Amino acid sequence: MLLEVRDLHVEFHTRDGVAKAVNGVDYSVDAGETLAVLGESGSGKSVTAQAVMGILDIPPGRISQGEILFQGQDLLKLKEEERRKIRGAKMAMVFQDALSSLNPVISVGDQLGEMFQVHKGMSRKDSKAKAVELMDRVRIPAAKERVGQYPHQFSGGMRQRIMIAMALALEPELIIADEPTTALDVTVQAQVMDLLAELQRELNMGLILITHDLGVVADVADKIAVMYAGRIVEQAPVHEIYKAPAHPYTRGLLDSIPRLDQKGQELYAIKGLPPNLLAIPPGCAFNPRCPMAQDVCRTDVPPLYDVTESPVPRSSACHFWKECLHG
Amino acid sequence: MPEQPEPLESYEEGQAIAPTGAGGASDLATAEGETLEKTPGGPLGTGADKKPRSLWSDAWRDLRRNPIFIISSLVILFLVVISIWPQLIASGDPLDCDLSKAQEGSQPGHPFGFNGQGCDVYTRTVYGARTSVTVGVLATLGVAVLGGILGGLAGFFGGAWDGVLSRITDVFFAIPVVLGGLVLLSVVTSSTVWPVIGFMVLLGWPQLSRIARGSVITAKQNDYVQAARALGASNSRMMLRHIAPNAIAPVIVVATIALGTYIALEATLSYLGVGLKPPTVSWGIDISSASQYIRNAPHMLLWPAGALAITVLAFIMLGDAVRDALDPKLR
Amino acid sequence: MAEAILEVRDLHKHYPLTRGVVFKKHVGSVKAVDGVDFDLAAGETLGIVGESGCGKSTVAKMLVNLERPTSGEIRYKGEDISKLSPRALKAVRRNIQMVFQDPYTSLNPRMTVGDIIGEPYEIHPEVAPKGSRRQKVQDLLDVVGLNPEYINRYPHQFSGGQRQRIGIARGLALQPEIIVADEPVSALDVSVQAQVINLMGNLQSEFSLSYVFIAHDLSIVRHISDRVGVMYLGRIVEIGTDAQIYDHPTHPYTQALLSAVPVPDPEARAHRERIILTGDVPSPANIPSGCRFRTRCWKAQERCALEVPLLAVPAVFRLTDSPAKHDSACHFAEEKQVVPPEEGATSPEAPPENGANGPGTPPGNGSDGTEGLNGSNGMTKPESP
Repeated sequence: MLLEVRDLHVEFHTRDGVAKAVNGVDYSVDAGETLAVLGESGSGKSVTAQAVMGILDIPPGRISQGEILFQGQDLLKLKEEERRKIRGAKMAMVFQDALSSLNPVISVGDQLGEMFQVHKGMSRKDSKAKAVELMDRVRIPAAKERVGQYPHQFSGGMRQRIMIAMALALEPELIIADEPTTALDVTVQAQVMDLLAELQRELNMGLILITHDLGVVADVADKIAVMYAGRIVEQAPVHEIYKAPAHPYTRGLLDSIPRLDQKGQELYAIKGLPPNLLAIPPGCAFNPRCPMAQDVCRTDVPPLYDVTESPVPRSSACHFWKECLHG
Repeated sequence: MPEQPEPLESYEEGQAIAPTGAGGASDLATAEGETLEKTPGGPLGTGADKKPRSLWSDAWRDLRRNPIFIISSLVILFLVVISIWPQLIASGDPLDCDLSKAQEGSQPGHPFGFNGQGCDVYTRTVYGARTSVTVGVLATLGVAVLGGILGGLAGFFGGAWDGVLSRITDVFFAIPVVLGGLVLLSVVTSSTVWPVIGFMVLLGWPQLSRIARGSVITAKQNDYVQAARALGASNSRMMLRHIAPNAIAPVIVVATIALGTYIALEATLSYLGVGLKPPTVSWGIDISSASQYIRNAPHMLLWPAGALAITVLAFIMLGDAVRDALDPKLR
Repeated sequence: MAEAILEVRDLHKHYPLTRGVVFKKHVGSVKAVDGVDFDLAAGETLGIVGESGCGKSTVAKMLVNLERPTSGEIRYKGEDISKLSPRALKAVRRNIQMVFQDPYTSLNPRMTVGDIIGEPYEIHPEVAPKGSRRQKVQDLLDVVGLNPEYINRYPHQFSGGQRQRIGIARGLALQPEIIVADEPVSALDVSVQAQVINLMGNLQSEFSLSYVFIAHDLSIVRHISDRVGVMYLGRIVEIGTDAQIYDHPTHPYTQALLSAVPVPDPEARAHRERIILTGDVPSPANIPSGCRFRTRCWKAQERCALEVPLLAVPAVFRLTDSPAKHDSACHFAEEKQVVPPEEGATSPEAPPENGANGPGTPPGNGSDGTEGLNGSNGMTKPESP
C-alpha cells in the first residue's frame, strides 16, 4: 500500500473551543489508484490532506491521534527535516487556486526549475531545460517561448497545468489534488482533469482527488471515501456507490442531483445544515438531517461496518446500512 | 408544482442544532472559516444567546476582554478628566512662579520640584494635559471630518473628482510636516491653540482622506450596495446606510492613532518655538525650556516628557486594540 | 407561450480601455456584451449558461439597471427601461429584482435581517404603510422558510443557505414580476443547493414570477429552466427550449460544453463521447472576426472567419419540423447528441443524423493545423493519436 491513513484525529483550538475537524479517518491509496475524497466544506477532507502532506498549520491545528503510513513509514514520527525531503519529491499537492499558489514576481520557468535546483542540485541552465520539458509534458503550447513568462500572462487553465507540472517535477509517487478544477470553466476543467488522469496512469502514481463534485468523481475515481463532519461515512468502489449507496448521506447527495425525469418537480434536498464542528451532534453526526434516523442513531456512534459485496472492500458508518443499501 | 413552500424543513435547520449549539456559535463558524476549510457560516447561535449581536457589539465584547484596551482607556479617561478639572488633583496655579525657587528639586507640597522660572512642575504637568488633549482631540476631529468626507466622496463618486483629490493629497504628502510647521507657523503671532490645530488639519487631512477613500471603494464593491441600488436607493441612502457604517472602522482606527501623534507633534512644534507660546501651558513648551538645564536639573524634563510619552502611547495602544476588535479578518 | 414581458434587443456593453494617467488615450474596448437578443415570457424561466467572462453577469446587471448598456434596448412591457429618467426608473425597479451570487457579500453586515428585508419598503414607501412593514417582513421570512422570529438577527448569524433565503426575501419584498438570479446557488454547499432551487421553484408558482436564471451549472439550469440560452464571448450562440438545447444542440460550442460536463454516473465513462476543446476563450478585448467561436471550433472553415453567423434557425432546419429547429448562430449547424441517455443507456451512440448534413465537415477532421481543432474521440482520453 502506498499510503495508509489510520484513525487520524485533527483538532483546531479556537478561542471558542476545540473544533474537531477530523475524527478518526482511515483510508488508503495504492500506486496507480485514484481515491476520491468527497465532502462538503467543513467535512475535514482538506484538513486530512494537509495532515498527510504535513502542511497543517500547527497551532491552531493539532494531530491528536493516528498514523499516516507512507510506504510503510509513519510520517508523524519523522523529523520535520526528513518530512521536507519527502514533500515535493515523493508526494506533491495541486491546489485549487493556481494564481495564489504561484509566485507572481518569478517567471514560470524559474519556479519550475527551482524544484530541480533545490532537490536535485542541478545548474540553472539544466533546470531551465527541465522546466521546458515539463511544460511540454503538461501540453502548454510553445513551451520554449513561454518559459520566461510570469503567472499572470497565463490563463486559468494554463496556470493549473503549471501547478500540475510543478507537482510532477520530481515524479512523486503520490499526488494530492485539492479541488483542482473547481475554479475552472467546464470546458477547461475537462482538459485539466483528463491531463491529470493521464499523467497519473503514465507515471503509475497514487492520486487523492479531493472534491465536492459528484460528476468529477464519477469520471476519474477508482474508489470513493465520503466524508461528513470529520469522519468517513462511506467508502466504496466507484461503480458500486453510484448504483447503491450504503449511507443515507451519500444517498442524499446522489438524489439531490437534478435528473431529467424530475423536471418540473421538487429536487430531493437533504434537510438542515452541515454540523458545527465545535458541537458535533452525539451519536451519528448525520442524525439530525437523516430521514432514516432512529433512537440508536442519536446515542451510539456507528462503527465503520464492513458491507463488502464484491471482491473490493466496502464500508459504511450507518447503523441501518442494510436498509439503505437494499431499500 | 406543489403550491406550498415548505418552511418546516428549514425551521428544523435552526432547531436541529438548538440542543447542542452553544452560545456564540456564530463566531465559531467564522473562526472555522479561517482555520479550517472555508465553512460558509455555521449554525445559529441559539440557546443562551438570545439577543442578536451586531458586529459592533461583538467588537465591544472583544474590547472589554482586552487588557490593553482597558489600560489605555483608563489612562485616557484620567487625562480627559484632569484636562477638564485640573483642580481635582492640582491646587496651585501653573502661572504662579517664584524665581527664587528656580530649578529646585522635589520638596513637600511640590513633589516634582520647580522649573527654570520657579514654577511648580507638578501643577504645570497637570495643566499641560488640557492643552495636549485639546489640541489632539480638535485636530483629530477636524482631520477626520474633512479627510473623511472628502475621501469618502472621492471614493464613492470616483472619476475626475477622485483624480483631482488624489493629486492634491499627493502634493500634501510631499510637504515635510516639521519643516512646513517651521515655515507656516513662524509668521503666526497668536498665542492660542488655533493656529496649531489649523496647521495640523491642513497637513493631516490627506492621510485620513486616503484611508477613507480606500475603505469606501472596498465597501462600495460589496453586493449589498448593488442590491440597494437595484432597489432604487438614492446615493445618500447608499452612502449613509450601507457604505459609511462598513467603511468607518479603518478611519476610526487611524484617527485614534493619529490623535497620539498630533499630541506629539504639538510638543515638537512648541519645542521648536513655532507651536504654542507662553503663557499657554504645554508639555512641549516645558520640555523646550527644560532642555537647557538637562544636566543639572533633569527632573524638569522628566515629568512633562514622561506625561507626553504615556499619553501618546495610550492613544496608539487604544487604536491598536480597536483595530484588532474591528478587523474583519479576525472576525 | 404567454406574451413577452421583457424583450432584449441588440444589447451591447463595451468598457473602454484607456492608457495613460492624465491624458487618457482610448486604445480599444472590452466587449463584455456584444449583441444579445432574447425575450422573456411572463411566468417562464429563461436560463442563461456560459463560462466565466462570457458576459452573462453583465447582462444580468443591465437587466436590473446596475449597468447602463452601451447600446441596445431592454423593453419591459414595451417600454425601453435603459433610457428612463431616474424617477421613472425607480418605479420600474420595483418590478425587476435581483438575487445575487454571494450570500456573504450581498447582505449588509451592519443591518439586522428585518432592516435588510424591510429596506425595499423604506425606499418605496408606497408599497407598504409604515405600520404594516414588520408584519410583511415576517411574512416574507416565513415564505422563504426562515423562522419569523429571526427578524432581529444579523446576517453573520446565518449559514450560507439561510443567507441566500434572506436575499431572496429581499428580492420578493416589492412583489416584482421578474427576478434576475445571478448564480444564486453556486456559492452554496451541494446539500443546500437543492433546498434553494426548490424554494425558487415554489416561489415562482406561488407569486407567478418570471426568472432569468444565470448559472454555469448546466444540470441545475436544465432543471429549473423552460428555455435556455448559451452565451459565448458576449453573445448568445444558441437558444431554445431546454429539450432543444440539451437533447438536440446544433451549435458546436453548446455541444462541447454539454459533453464536458462531468456526469455523475461512472458507467457513462466508457461510452461517453467527449469533445475536448483546445485553447482558451479569446479576450473580449480582441474578439475574432466572423464567428467568435471559430478559433476553438473543429468545424471552422474560411467562411467562419469572414461572415458573422446570425442567431436564427439554421437554413438546414428551416423547412423541417425536426426537434433541432431552433435558433443557433452557426454556419454549419448540425445536430449531435452529446448527453448520454439516462437510465440504462441502451443505445450508446446513435445521434439522429439529420439528413441535411450540408457543408458540415465530420468532427475530428481538423481544418488546417490552426489551433482550436481537436476532434471528439470516443474515449475519455483526450489525445489518442
